[in-house]
Amino acid sequence: MLEATDVWKVYETRGVETVALQGVNLVIDEGEFTALAGPSGSGKTTLLNLFGALDVPTRGTIHLEGQELSTLSSAQLAHLRLQKLGFIFQAYNLIPVLSARENVEFVMELQGVPAAERQERAMAMLAEVGLGDMADKRPMEMSGGQQQRVAVARAIVSRPRVVLADEPTANLDSKTAEKLLDLMQEMNQRHHVTFLFSTHDPMVIEKSRRTVRLRDGQVVDDELRAA
Amino acid sequence: MSLEFRLAKRNIGRNLRRTGLTVAATVFAVFLVVVFVAMAAGMHEKMIEDGVRIHSGHLQVSGKDYLKKRTLEQFVDLDAELLTLLEQAPGALGVAPRVIGFGLASKGASTQGVAIFGVDPQREGTVSSLPTRVVSGVFVDGEGRGIVLGERLARNLGAEIGDELLLYSVAYSMETAYDLFTVVGTLRLPEPALERTLAVISLADAQAFFAYGDRVSEIAVLAKDAGHVDALEADLHAVLAKRGGPELELHTWAEVMPELKQFIFIDDAGMYIMLAILVVVVAFGILNTILMSVLERTRELGVMLALGLKPGSIFRVVYMESMLLASIGLVIGLALAIPVVLYFQGHPIPMSEELKGAAQIIAMEPVITFKLKPLNPLGSMITILGVAALAALYPALKASRARPVDALRSL
Repeated sequence: MLEATDVWKVYETRGVETVALQGVNLVIDEGEFTALAGPSGSGKTTLLNLFGALDVPTRGTIHLEGQELSTLSSAQLAHLRLQKLGFIFQAYNLIPVLSARENVEFVMELQGVPAAERQERAMAMLAEVGLGDMADKRPMEMSGGQQQRVAVARAIVSRPRVVLADEPTANLDSKTAEKLLDLMQEMNQRHHVTFLFSTHDPMVIEKSRRTVRLRDGQVVDDELRAA
Repeated sequence: MSLEFRLAKRNIGRNLRRTGLTVAATVFAVFLVVVFVAMAAGMHEKMIEDGVRIHSGHLQVSGKDYLKKRTLEQFVDLDAELLTLLEQAPGALGVAPRVIGFGLASKGASTQGVAIFGVDPQREGTVSSLPTRVVSGVFVDGEGRGIVLGERLARNLGAEIGDELLLYSVAYSMETAYDLFTVVGTLRLPEPALERTLAVISLADAQAFFAYGDRVSEIAVLAKDAGHVDALEADLHAVLAKRGGPELELHTWAEVMPELKQFIFIDDAGMYIMLAILVVVVAFGILNTILMSVLERTRELGVMLALGLKPGSIFRVVYMESMLLASIGLVIGLALAIPVVLYFQGHPIPMSEELKGAAQIIAMEPVITFKLKPLNPLGSMITILGVAALAALYPALKASRARPVDALRSL
């Protein structure tokens, strides 16, 4: 499904080069629930950005369902993100002027799903994440945990092939974080959506079925747990 | 409602204080633009109307080079056919032949230089306001050598109604012309200089006085519609060309009174420079609001790009925000300004004593008049929306050109 082959990423800031990834090779299969673990600066977020078609590698290739991302234009990448990828951000990043339902509908609206259908799907998904009664609330009227659940609903409702989540529990208390992880696991199993997330939270690592550890931009461990 | 419009509409409601201030600045600018332009239009129209109704008419037929030399040597041979042709022009409201000469008026020991207007008592009122400006006595009626004086001239001469005064000048024949006239009325004019010199007699008396035969100095023509003088001018050119005979000239009021035309031009230029500065200030206000709003939402815009919103959509959202802000200000501004202008259009404001002096210098009546022309609100609308469109360009381009990874900084 996702494949990184000898991926290097070098940032240059004011003439100073920073190597974020050094020859990473990684394959993520369909239906995985995988954590990218590692300390800050290990390259987790950079790798997620590359898998998410938000950035391009300095060297090496990224494939999504057999398609090499570096060959696509920015418009094609935007289309690919819209159709195949879902995103969950550390800071929730809901659109503040839209209600919970409208946030969940956002990607479907861009996909051109008819209004009646997308409203129905959004309401069903909000009910599934336990927020059926908060559909008309704006993000600032909701708690962090509620916002992140809306973000999960938004990421999944458009039926992406892969959901990429950057430290999704970082801003949540442990109880809320556990509930969110259970929800993501449930979505993974029920909707067969591949989940790839970055984290350094031991609980998240514990709940993942596969943990890829990064250090200094290199994969140093790849651990698969029994389901 | 499209997603883009919904986002734009809600975004301008996010920071109500900032939106309110920008809208207030726009309202203020629209209000001032509409009111000032209406005031200038009203005042200029009044000045033209006054000038046209005292001096030239909208158009003036005269002998060759009359405008340059203004002597009795440049004349029009007046005949009934010419008058009929001019009067029958479709756009003409009135036609008034005049003899204009200069001379001296004496009463007792007092002598004053005068501009002698010989007018047709029946026709003059169809073109000029002179007959209606009589403040004492009556206007000339062609009987018994009556003369009507400017009020100031009468005062300077010490002349009263019923007094006789001696008028003398040089006739067309180059002989001395002199005759006694009886003061039958006095006139009040917005132009003090003219009021100090104007002496009106009948056309027949003037032709006799100057030994001018059937000649006249000019024929003033008033248009039915001040906005269609061009069409009347074309018609009269055709009439004069068809008639043949000695070469005649046709001039517009702007050619006869170039100083008035120039004054209006300079007055307009000053006003438009001031309004342009005001509009530029509003443009920067809108630019500041939209740019701040875009910079504050860098991450949010990155999220939307990451989720698949196209850069073109981001551009349109930001653009719509600017246009919405300007439109709200425009609607409120017009809603406030138009009733104010319409009220004052029906109720001209009398000038204060200090301003009256200034008004007299430029020969206008001491009232502030307003005129709302359709082009005024339409022009204000185009200007403000155009300014908003320009002001939004940079923030909208900046927002749409962001790379999602840079805007987000992290996924």
